[in-house]
Amino acid sequence: MLAFVVRRIVATIPVMAFVALFVFSLLYIAPGDPAAIIAGDQASPADVERIRASLGLDRPYLVRFGEWSWRVVQGDLGTSIFTNLPVTQLIAQRVEPTLSLMVLTLIFAVVIAVPMGVIAAWKAGTWIDKGAMAFAVLSFSVPVFVVGYLLAWIFALKLDWLPVQGYTPLSQGVWPWLKNLILPAVTLGLVYIALIARITRATMLEVLQQDYVRTANAKGVAQKDVLFLHSLKNAAVPIVTVIGIGIALLIGGAVVTESVFAIPGLGRLTVDAILRRDYPVIQGVVLMFSLVYVLVNLLIDLTYTLVDPRIRY
Amino acid sequence: MDRRTFLKSATGAGVAAAAGGLAMPALAQGAAAKTLRFVPQANLANFDPIWGTQYVVRNAAALVWDTLYGIDSKFQPQRQMVESEEVSADGLTWTFKLRPGLKFHDGTPVLARDVVQSLVRWSARDPMGLMLRAIQVELAPIDDRSWKWVLKQPFPKMLLALAKNNAPCSFIMPERIAKTDPFTQITEFVGSGPMKFARNEWVPGAKAVFEKFTDYVPRSEKADWLAGGKNILVDRVEWVIMPDPATAAAALQNGEVDWWETPLSDLVPVLKGNANINVDIGDPLGNIGSFRMNHLFPPFNNVKVRQAVMTALNQEDYMRALVGEDDKLWKELGGFFTPGTPLYTEEGGEMMKAKNVAAAKKLLAESGYKGEPVVCVVAQDMAATKSMGDVTAELLKSIGMNVDFVATDWGTVGARRAQKTPPGQGGWSMFHTWHAGADCINPAAYTAIRANGEKAWFGWPDVPAVETEVTNWFNAKDLAEEKAALGRLNKAAVENVVYAPTGFYLGYQAWRKNVSGVVSGPLPFFWGVSKA
Repeated sequence: MLAFVVRRIVATIPVMAFVALFVFSLLYIAPGDPAAIIAGDQASPADVERIRASLGLDRPYLVRFGEWSWRVVQGDLGTSIFTNLPVTQLIAQRVEPTLSLMVLTLIFAVVIAVPMGVIAAWKAGTWIDKGAMAFAVLSFSVPVFVVGYLLAWIFALKLDWLPVQGYTPLSQGVWPWLKNLILPAVTLGLVYIALIARITRATMLEVLQQDYVRTANAKGVAQKDVLFLHSLKNAAVPIVTVIGIGIALLIGGAVVTESVFAIPGLGRLTVDAILRRDYPVIQGVVLMFSLVYVLVNLLIDLTYTLVDPRIRY
Repeated sequence: MDRRTFLKSATGAGVAAAAGGLAMPALAQGAAAKTLRFVPQANLANFDPIWGTQYVVRNAAALVWDTLYGIDSKFQPQRQMVESEEVSADGLTWTFKLRPGLKFHDGTPVLARDVVQSLVRWSARDPMGLMLRAIQVELAPIDDRSWKWVLKQPFPKMLLALAKNNAPCSFIMPERIAKTDPFTQITEFVGSGPMKFARNEWVPGAKAVFEKFTDYVPRSEKADWLAGGKNILVDRVEWVIMPDPATAAAALQNGEVDWWETPLSDLVPVLKGNANINVDIGDPLGNIGSFRMNHLFPPFNNVKVRQAVMTALNQEDYMRALVGEDDKLWKELGGFFTPGTPLYTEEGGEMMKAKNVAAAKKLLAESGYKGEPVVCVVAQDMAATKSMGDVTAELLKSIGMNVDFVATDWGTVGARRAQKTPPGQGGWSMFHTWHAGADCINPAAYTAIRANGEKAWFGWPDVPAVETEVTNWFNAKDLAEEKAALGRLNKAAVENVVYAPTGFYLGYQAWRKNVSGVVSGPLPFFWGVSKA
C-alpha cells in the first residue's frame, strides 16, 4: 500500500509538469494583453508598450517559461500582474471560502443523495422512485445560477432567514460561517445530489438482485440493514468513484456559485484573473486545482480498499 | 476516546463556537453603525493611481491621496492642499505654497519635496502632465512648504491640470514612494487623504477597507466634488466587490450593503420600488458611447465611408439597447463633448443626427467601397460594448457593408485594437467602447478626440484641423475663446469622423435611506456621507 501511494505521488510530478507546460503555452498563444487593461482605456499605445516591457511580457516564450518553472519548483508561484501580491498569498486568502463551500456541499449532497438513491432503488418503479428521479433530473437540468437566485430570493429577501451574499471566516464563529454558506452549498449541491443519487440507484438496483440480498431478506434481516449494511457497501465503489469525479464538477460549479453569492473564493479569483489576463494567477490556480484533482483521485483509490477488502494495491 | 465521547465533545465545541459566533452580530452591529458598505463599479485589483488608470482605482485613490487642487461641480479648480499660488507676469513661473499641518498617514509632514516628486511621477503618465514636461525648465522645492514650476512658455491650464479628476490625477505621495518608476506599481499605500487604506484587510476581488484618518485637516469650505472640506463622517468604508448585479441588488435590499455605485438599469425599477432605498443619477456627466474606425486601412481609411456610417447611425437605437426605455437616461448628441457642460457645442454636427440610410447608401456608393469586410471586434463580456456591437452590425448591413463580426472579450479587444496590421491579418476595422463624460468636457483628458495620426488613440485619425483647435483651446485666454476653438474642433471632427459617438447616457446610483449625504458626481464622494 505504501509503495502504491509513493508511486502515485511520484507519478503526479510528470502530470503537473505537463499541466504547467500546457497552461503556460495556452496563455502565451491566447489573445489578450494585461498591459492594455492595466493602462486603462485612455492610455496611449506607447504607454501600453512600456507597461508590457516593465512586466517582462515582451520577452521570449522560452525565457519566461524557464524563469516561471524555476520559481515554481522552488514553491514560488510568482506575483500577480495586477495586485502586485504573491500568487500564493492570493490563493491562501481564497482557500478557506472555497474549501468550506466544497466540504459543506459534499456533506450536504452525500447525506441527501445516497439515501435517496438507495430508497429509489428499493422502491423501484413506485412513485417514490419516480419522484426521486424527477427531482434528480430537475436538479441536474436547472442552471446553478437560477437555483442560486431563486433560493436567495426566497430565503434571504422574502423570509430574511439567511444573508444574500458574502463569507464569514470560521474563526468568527460556526453560525456566522454556516449561515453564509447554507444557500451556496444547497445551490451547488443540487447538481451533485442528482449525480450521486442516480448512480446510487443504478448500482443498488444491480446489487439488490444478488443472491446474498435475497438470502438476507429470507432470513428476516431488517430492511434498513439489508439496504444500508449489506447492499450499499457492495454498491459503494462506483458511488465513491462518482463522488471523486464530482470534485471537478464542484470546482467548476464553485466558479458560478461564488459569483452569485459574492463569496471571495478561488473560483472568483480564477475568473477575475482570466478576464484580466493575470497570467501568474491563472497558472498558479490551475496548477493548484490540478494537484487537488490528482490527490483526490489518489484518495478515492485508497478509499476503495476500505469499502471493498478484495481490492489491494 | 470512544465515538460517543468524541461526538459529545465535538458537539460541545460546536455549540460553544456557535455561541461565540452568535455573540458576533451584536458586536458587529455596533461596528456596523459607523461602517459604510459600498459596492463599487469594479474590482479594486491594484492600487497605484498613476500606474493603473482605471476609474475604480482613481475613485479609491481619492480617499487615500489628496490633491493640490480639486475640481468643483462648476468645473472650476479650487485650492485643496495648496494654501496659495502665484504666477509671474510673463506666465512662466508658478510658485505654490502648501497649507500648514498636512500629514501623511505614517505621521510625517507633507513637504514640498514630496509634492515635487509626486508631480514628476504623475507628469510622466498624464497627457496634461506630458505637455507640462515638454515645456518645463525647472520643477523644484523652495522650502518645506513651497515649490516652483518654471516653464518655457505660459500654460494657462496649469490649475486645471492639477485639479482635474480624470485619471491619472496628480495625487500627492511621500517622496520615497513617488520615486517609484511611473510604469512600475508602488508597494506602499501611504497618502495624506481623509482615509487610510487598510492594506492587511485588502482581498483583491472581494474587499477593500478604508479607515478614517484622524489627523486629516479638512478645508473650511463646504465640500463640492473634489474641492472643499473632505469631512469623513464614518469610521470605516468597506468596499464590497460584487461582480453579479443581481446579487448586489439583493444585498442592497436586504441591508447587507449601504450604497451601490452602478446599478444595472434593468434592476433599477426593483430598487425604486423598495421603500428603504433611494435611487438617483450617479454621475451627471455620464458617458459617451462610441465606436472607433481604423483610419489606416480600407474601408475606413476613406472619409466618405466613415461619413456614410455616421449618416446612417441612429443614436436612439444604441441608447435603447444600452439603457432601455428610461428617457431620462440618454440624450442625442450633435457634438463630441459632454452635453450640459460649458463647452458643449453642436457646431457642424448635423451629420450626427442625420439618421438617413438612403443618403448613407449614396455616400457609400460614391466612396467606391468594394465590399471589403469590416472586422467588427466586439467584447461580449461588457454589456455596453455587446449591445452597441449588435446595433452596429445591423447598421452596417443596412447600408450594404460586409460585416465580419468578431465576438470576443474585453481583454482581447484591448490587445487587438493596438495592432496596426491590416484587418485580415490580426488587425481590426472597428471596436466599441465608451468615454466617461468627465473626460470629454474639454480636450484636456479627451484622448479619443485627438487626431494626431500615429500618436492618436486607437484608430489613429489624422486630422490637422482638429489638432490645431486643441492647441487653440489650450492657449485660450477666456471662455469665449475656448468655445470658439471647440466649435471649430467639433466641426472638423464631425466632417472627418474622428470617431462615431453613439449617444450620451447616464446611470443611476442607489443607497439605503439610513445613509445621507450622497451626491451626484463623476466619482463617488464619501466625504459628508453619514449613516444613521
